[in-house]
Amino acid sequence: MELRLGLALPTPNIIKGFDLDNHKPKETGGLGAWNKPSKRSFEQAFGNFKEECKAKTLLLWSGQPNEEEDHKDQTKTTFSTIDENDAEEVDQVMGWPPIKTWRKKIFRQQHRVGRTEYNRVADEENGGSVYVKVKMEGVAITRKIDIRLYHSYQTLTNSLITIFTKDRKCADDDHTRYTLTYQDKEGDWLIAGDIPWQSFIKNVQRLEIVKKWG
Amino acid sequence: MQKKMAYSFPDEVLEHVFSFIQSDKDRNAVSAVCKSWYEIERWCRRKVFIGNCYAVSPTMVIKRFPEVRSIELKGKPHFADFNLVPDGWGGYVLPWIVEMAGAYPWLEEIRLKRMVVTDESLELIAKSFKNFKVLVLFSCEGFSTDGLAAIAAGCKNLRELDLRESEVDDMSGHWLTHFPETCTSLVSLNISCLGSDEVSFSALERLVGRCPNLRSLRLNRAVTIDKIANILRHAPQLVDFGTGNYATELRPDVLANLTGAFSSCKKLKSLSGFWDVVPAYLPALYSVCSRLTSLNLSYATIQSPEIIKLVSRCPSLQRLLVLDYIEDSGLEALASSCKDLQELRVFPSDPFGVEPNVSLTEQGLVAVSLGCPKLQSVLYFCRRMTNAALVTIAQNCPNFTRFRLCIIEPKTADYLTLEPLDIGFGAIVEHCKDLRRLSLSGLLTDRVFEYIGTYAKKLEMLSVAFAGNSDLGLHHVLSGCESLRKLEIRDCPFGDKALLANAAKLETMRSLWMSSCTVSFGACKLLGQTVPRLNVEVIDEIEPPGSRPESFPVDKLYIYRSVSGPRFDMPPFVWTMDEERKILHSEFRHLL
Repeated sequence: MELRLGLALPTPNIIKGFDLDNHKPKETGGLGAWNKPSKRSFEQAFGNFKEECKAKTLLLWSGQPNEEEDHKDQTKTTFSTIDENDAEEVDQVMGWPPIKTWRKKIFRQQHRVGRTEYNRVADEENGGSVYVKVKMEGVAITRKIDIRLYHSYQTLTNSLITIFTKDRKCADDDHTRYTLTYQDKEGDWLIAGDIPWQSFIKNVQRLEIVKKWG
Repeated sequence: MQKKMAYSFPDEVLEHVFSFIQSDKDRNAVSAVCKSWYEIERWCRRKVFIGNCYAVSPTMVIKRFPEVRSIELKGKPHFADFNLVPDGWGGYVLPWIVEMAGAYPWLEEIRLKRMVVTDESLELIAKSFKNFKVLVLFSCEGFSTDGLAAIAAGCKNLRELDLRESEVDDMSGHWLTHFPETCTSLVSLNISCLGSDEVSFSALERLVGRCPNLRSLRLNRAVTIDKIANILRHAPQLVDFGTGNYATELRPDVLANLTGAFSSCKKLKSLSGFWDVVPAYLPALYSVCSRLTSLNLSYATIQSPEIIKLVSRCPSLQRLLVLDYIEDSGLEALASSCKDLQELRVFPSDPFGVEPNVSLTEQGLVAVSLGCPKLQSVLYFCRRMTNAALVTIAQNCPNFTRFRLCIIEPKTADYLTLEPLDIGFGAIVEHCKDLRRLSLSGLLTDRVFEYIGTYAKKLEMLSVAFAGNSDLGLHHVLSGCESLRKLEIRDCPFGDKALLANAAKLETMRSLWMSSCTVSFGACKLLGQTVPRLNVEVIDEIEPPGSRPESFPVDKLYIYRSVSGPRFDMPPFVWTMDEERKILHSEFRHLL
């Protein structure tokens, strides 16, 4: 009896019909980044959106959901054979950490209401995407963008204009000026554009578009 | 016919004396004294606790104890809580209800944990036991609100209905209306697990209003904050209250109403619920805080400053359940405010995140261990730990009875020294001589098991995951822990040797669970066939273990002692290692 099951993921995961390309067992049984985006159809992606977010952002869509969406629902639609309880465990070890099923349900519900704490999520498996939250003053929804899709402040601001043009309420006229601000690693809020782009993308934790005074 | 010694007491006197002996252990001791005591005792035993529903059959229980009024049964293994036990494994209560319906017409109390309860079972309970008073379904499943309606309608003297953490299928919201207007006997009602539409609020209000002895009420999430005040005004005598949803946009009138309602509850000592908390409503609780002994905030996503504000007003707090939003700073505040604290449970707010989302570390637990001398029971989820911290905690709290530490990432070493956490846990078992329950985590070698086997003489339950190097680890535990009753292991390199060498030990324990270890099918068969009164069950959802070589490891293994032989209700993915029964089983399988 030399065979060691050791720490390989338990075999029942395989019978659940996982897409093995997306599901890489890790030797250490460690936890993968559960924020990993999954590809799915456009309709599905936007199905949960409120009124403000009608179909748009065609330029930037990379499969990453915006904050209001439930990540767990994504996982559910991609791996249709998984039942509710296992939705989060796609990338993780079965039954670990040891948290009761009903408590996990509550986490899921809470996260659905947009209580995730992450401002910046780096996703190694998707070629180093770095998702950063973007909020615009006066707009209810906080978005997430992949900062690595841009190579300069200009391209970033152009995109943001495109994204948020339709979000602005009608009361705001086109003469309102906005400033792009960002929060750095130390937690300080600064005006974007002062530091070289490469430093900026390493530092930026989140973005906020605020109305200019005066 | 027994000879009665001239100087022995009449039976009635003995029976009267025995009625003062409540604990099962003492009762068992009494029954072992002599035959006549055995006889007298068994006729007057009113309460039976069966820790594993498959350890004994209903027939045997009824035969020995014909006059039982209260029964407690546990079904699935503990790891079922974490989805490690497949659906359909077992733990059905119906066979028990069927037999007790005939044998115990005066049964008053049924308490079940991790069992499958059907509506049929509930209907049978409502029909069969005329004086039924207490139903507790802890982490059960398989029933719907239809079954609850039957209980409500049929049990005229119902005192306690507690559905904690159970999964209930929602058929309609009106099961509560089935409580007749004449029902005024409720003392405890816990419906916190029910979903959104499963409770008719007006029926609830009326029920609460007409039960003057109601002491404990735990609402479900669907009950909104504005309704709480009404409920409390109907039941100011409550001792234990579970709110529903504790959120809505701040309205001064609602806040004032709530504050008034809480302040009229002079006996309130325990609070729970608090789904979706809006912090602005927390001050409504302040009048209750000074008397509060138990507080469950483990669904509340409020941040550390708000938690601190609340907790520092609760000097009498003995029990706190909270999310890790409390952070180290909150735990320090807890340590300085709540000197009577006995139990602390800190749950992770983001268990599947890779990065920590809160500042909760080993420091928080150290602070509580220092500030709260009465601390006995800990459940702590965190992301880092050190041996030094564990040693300090052990020295500060030699009175621990339950210590469960879950470092979220498996095999995490001491983050300062990068060493295994053997020494830290070793200190826990060495200093805490009354430790009954221990859960390990982090990077651990066989060493930690050596410590456990050496020192943990009172340990009854041990949970192990991703730990150890070899069979020696398991051997230390099985050979050293004299009081061990339950052992559950997952993902450890433990195999045949330790198990076979300690086969006799297994009969002294309630159960052993091993999954993703390296125990071979051959060893399982050997155990099952050679150790009497031991049920060895192999769980494999992919293919029969017998279709592979005997040296192959089994996926999951559940071993438990039993006086009623292997069970007959095993699903296709569970195999018993008892040869004779297996033949019988395969013959009867088509009947199941």
